[in-house]
Amino acid sequence: MVQEILAYIILAAAIFFLVRKFLWKKKNEKNCGEGDCGCH
Amino acid sequence: MRQTIASLKKGEKAVIRDFDVEAIPLKLLEMGCLPGNLVEVLQVAPLGDPLYLNINGSHLAIRLETAREIAIDPLTITLQ
Amino acid sequence: MTSTKNINVALIGNPNTGKTSVFNQLTGLNQQVGNYPGITVEKKIGFCKLPYNIKANILDLPGTYSLNASSIDENVVIEMLLNKNDKLYPDVVLVVADVENLKRNLLLFTQIKDLEIPTILVINMADRMGAKGISLDVPYLEAQLKTKIAVISSRKGTGIDELKKLIVAYQSLPTEPCLNASIIDPEYFNRLRKTFPNQLLYKLWLVITQDVNFAQLDRNEIRNSYTRSQIELKKIQQKETIKRYQFINEVLKDGQKINLATAKDFRIQLDRILTHKVWGYAIFFAILFVIFQSIFSWSAVPMDFIDSTFASLSTLAAQHLPAGVLTDLIAQGIIPGIGGIVIFIPQIAFLFLFISMLEESGYMSRVVFLMDKIMRRFGLSGKSVVPLISGTACAIPAIMATRNIENWKERLITILVTPFTTCSARLPVYAIIIALVIPEKRVLGILNLQGLTLMLLYLIGFGTAIVAAYLLNKILKINGKTYFVVEMPGYKLPMFKNVSLNVLEKTKAFVWGAGKIILAISIVLWFLASSGPGNAFHHADQIVAAQHLSEPLSATDFENAVASQKLENSYIGIMGKAIEPAIAPLGYDWKIGIALISSFAAREVFVGTLATIYSVGDTDNENTIKNKMQTEIHPDTGQKVFNFATGISLLLFYAFAMQCASTLAITKKETNSWKWPATQLVLMSGLAYLVALVTYQILK
Repeated sequence: MVQEILAYIILAAAIFFLVRKFLWKKKNEKNCGEGDCGCH
Repeated sequence: MRQTIASLKKGEKAVIRDFDVEAIPLKLLEMGCLPGNLVEVLQVAPLGDPLYLNINGSHLAIRLETAREIAIDPLTITLQ
Repeated sequence: MTSTKNINVALIGNPNTGKTSVFNQLTGLNQQVGNYPGITVEKKIGFCKLPYNIKANILDLPGTYSLNASSIDENVVIEMLLNKNDKLYPDVVLVVADVENLKRNLLLFTQIKDLEIPTILVINMADRMGAKGISLDVPYLEAQLKTKIAVISSRKGTGIDELKKLIVAYQSLPTEPCLNASIIDPEYFNRLRKTFPNQLLYKLWLVITQDVNFAQLDRNEIRNSYTRSQIELKKIQQKETIKRYQFINEVLKDGQKINLATAKDFRIQLDRILTHKVWGYAIFFAILFVIFQSIFSWSAVPMDFIDSTFASLSTLAAQHLPAGVLTDLIAQGIIPGIGGIVIFIPQIAFLFLFISMLEESGYMSRVVFLMDKIMRRFGLSGKSVVPLISGTACAIPAIMATRNIENWKERLITILVTPFTTCSARLPVYAIIIALVIPEKRVLGILNLQGLTLMLLYLIGFGTAIVAAYLLNKILKINGKTYFVVEMPGYKLPMFKNVSLNVLEKTKAFVWGAGKIILAISIVLWFLASSGPGNAFHHADQIVAAQHLSEPLSATDFENAVASQKLENSYIGIMGKAIEPAIAPLGYDWKIGIALISSFAAREVFVGTLATIYSVGDTDNENTIKNKMQTEIHPDTGQKVFNFATGISLLLFYAFAMQCASTLAITKKETNSWKWPATQLVLMSGLAYLVALVTYQILK
């Protein structure tokens, strides 16, 4: 039983991590949006 | 037609005269590319571009299109 | 008197001044690399013990020629120096200068002084003074520049103790600027000063000229009354630069003496050969060849060792941990997952060892010089060479290496095409398929056919990268001025400390960057492969037993058969069967389909998955897998599954497909947008599918 719970917790953590990495839109704290900021 | 760094050949030296501020990256100025400073062409890349220069003691390479923007006065005396 | 708070020390300076060496000398192994939030620049902080029990946090800022930022890297530097409330705001700044390029290095120094932060001038590379005939009047310079000077050699380790003492005494450093920059446009600056009497004039100026927000003053407040047009601002910046150089020239006239008679210069002779029309390229390609040969031969042993170690660990875990789901997850999902990451460390480390040495020695700049024109025809930059070469180990550190490409379009194209180069992860896949479908023959007596195929695949990788770059260059409409400037530093012997710390850093980047993602996906895939709906899965053992009633199997064979049955009916098995119609035209069956899906964790997982599918429990024995796969017959066609056509189709699929989630993640980070990794995924997968399809249909 314990084994199953722990295993599923790990699975949930892995999925959570992936979702956050790929799907969550991180707010951009600095002005530079896409690439060339024109900071010339 | 005015002479620019682009018209110099390998080994030639010149004095920088002027350039359009818009056309040159500020970084180049900060590395010593200023009117009155000496420029020497150390190497030209095999296809003519980029140019390996000694500007005011700084060793750097720039592309031909940038070199075309920098006007120079050729040295009449060759320094040994 | 002991201080309980750590001093904040910031290290700044031109590139190629040995600033990193100084950082390494001060901090040793006590350093960590992180990221500034929202930007791709690296944040390097280290810890140093100074005399009198004082401790310091040393922040290594990206190399820059001036405080006028021309890239995001340099922007970060300024931002931190303008915000007194920033927790990294330095108590003292060390400006590192190279004794051979003092004139240019001092530009930045005078700008820092204008910010009225205590500053120490660190003149590095003192060991070269003799060879270059340079002598300095240090007290004179200290008086004129209003600072304290430490003359050191980070390479030899001299002067470091004196430097540490100067840092400790930072509070006694003068903070007045050494020249009055506002006289370049008195009217403008006087107005500015009157309106904002509480702000440092130079700080205001920096804010106006770049997009920076700092604590007490928002850009918007100043913008309306003081912003001039970009051209006008640039003109003032130019005047500022000229003024500063005038000052510096004055100071150095008496402060520095150069005796040209005693100066020796290897640089010219070396440059003549290394940038030669013919020899330059020949030498470069020879070096590349040596590098690749070495990487392959050197990594073989450690990789085998890592492979067997992790296999043993896995078995050990299964044997010693109590039976259950968690143990299975650990033994079959987590340990192999981590093993799959660790096994690439040797190749990556060796590649970066070479690249690091080439960069440290100064040679890389010459390569950039040689390759720029050619690369530009394809929309790339000379500076794209390092990322493209690095991509043969792993795309992740390669894409990070594109940060020094000034032109955004060139940088973007480099980022997008680098994944086409044959990375280490593709090798196990290539190896096994080549072993299966390419005969072990020799062509023309000397060339091994299998080796030749591998080389061909490498060439296809590079070739596709170049072609893709060419197309992207034509298609993408991005404007960007080309501000290509590359410094050609003097040649130096690479320092072991710097090289090794660099290799460590890059390897860590791979392990953390790719590692976490690979591990997470491995865990998910394991679950998908070890659970399934329905009876076919849950009663696998009964079903297998029933199938072999007439000729019962041995214990091992039975286990393997059950594993195979379970896999076929697990979630991933169902997925594999579901995509079978889509991949059948490419010559793949559902078993290969499963392997393809698993490859999304990491391409090399392909081999391990195939081993499980073909009911071979033991992955160590490559021959067994090979034999099983070779004899596998497709139920529908009655022919061998791994025939020549399918093999080539698979090879080409892996060559072109974007299967590395980690690469997509880093592309997203470096381009700050979803658009690009998404486009990459769609286009590359599409290409892979089409090529594999056509290939199979033609060859079958």
